[in-house]
Amino acid sequence: MAIDTKFIGKEYPSYTYDVSKDKIKEYAKAIKNQDPHFMDEAFAKKSKYGAIIAPPTFAVVFGAYLIEPIFLDSELNLNMAMLVHGEQEFEFFEVVKAGDAITTTAKISDIRNKEKLDVITIEGISKNQHGRSVCRGLYTFVVRK
Amino acid sequence: MAIEKGETFSGSEKVDKYRAIYYAGASGDFNPIHIDPDFGKMVGLGGAILQGLCTLAFAAKTVTDWAGDPGKLKKIRCRFSAPVMLEDTISIEGAVSDIQGNRAKVDLKVTRQTGVEVLQKVEAEVEV
Repeated sequence: MAIDTKFIGKEYPSYTYDVSKDKIKEYAKAIKNQDPHFMDEAFAKKSKYGAIIAPPTFAVVFGAYLIEPIFLDSELNLNMAMLVHGEQEFEFFEVVKAGDAITTTAKISDIRNKEKLDVITIEGISKNQHGRSVCRGLYTFVVRK
Repeated sequence: MAIEKGETFSGSEKVDKYRAIYYAGASGDFNPIHIDPDFGKMVGLGGAILQGLCTLAFAAKTVTDWAGDPGKLKKIRCRFSAPVMLEDTISIEGAVSDIQGNRAKVDLKVTRQTGVEVLQKVEAEVEV
């Protein structure tokens, strides 16, 4: 069954994620990126950021807290067995630092019905505790029919 | 760092046997197609496949290693075009396609050892 385009614009409750230096290190190790900006506190303190920062793609970690409720949304009713990640786009603004509280809001920004598949795009906007933007993520998933 | 149009750079990553499990733990993406080779075979993937966002993170690392500052990456996008299997080797080649104001536009080619492009339309923007 096609995904109903009436859900375009549906917004989901925001989530505030507390960024810890240990989670940054865990993520950086997982992506095999041991840049001292992420791993070395002495280096990070002397850097222009003055603290451990997160790799840009750490945005997936706080983004996941918004994507999961959409996958589990019974009204939207996505067929998870047929869903694959089609495209991804991230725009980065202020860097994310250890100790930040990142609040992300998400909405369904697009749904396209095609003959053999549906395409759904979710836009996540993340801001830090100062209200400044850190990331805009566009997650595009393809659901085969 | 002076970045010029036409400049190129490259990187590569070996996807070790347990990479998808480490990435699952760090990212929260525990989809069985990534952590259970039997499940991956059952759904016709030939085994467990790496999370696409992990491959994108490898591509982003190649860009930020080249730029010298992770905070200079301002944009990255891609299409996930083919699965990455465990124990693959991923190659990343970047080229500066344009510079506008304080932004360098970078095109990336991301392939597995067979030459197949695992990501397509990979574009990044770096502050210069």
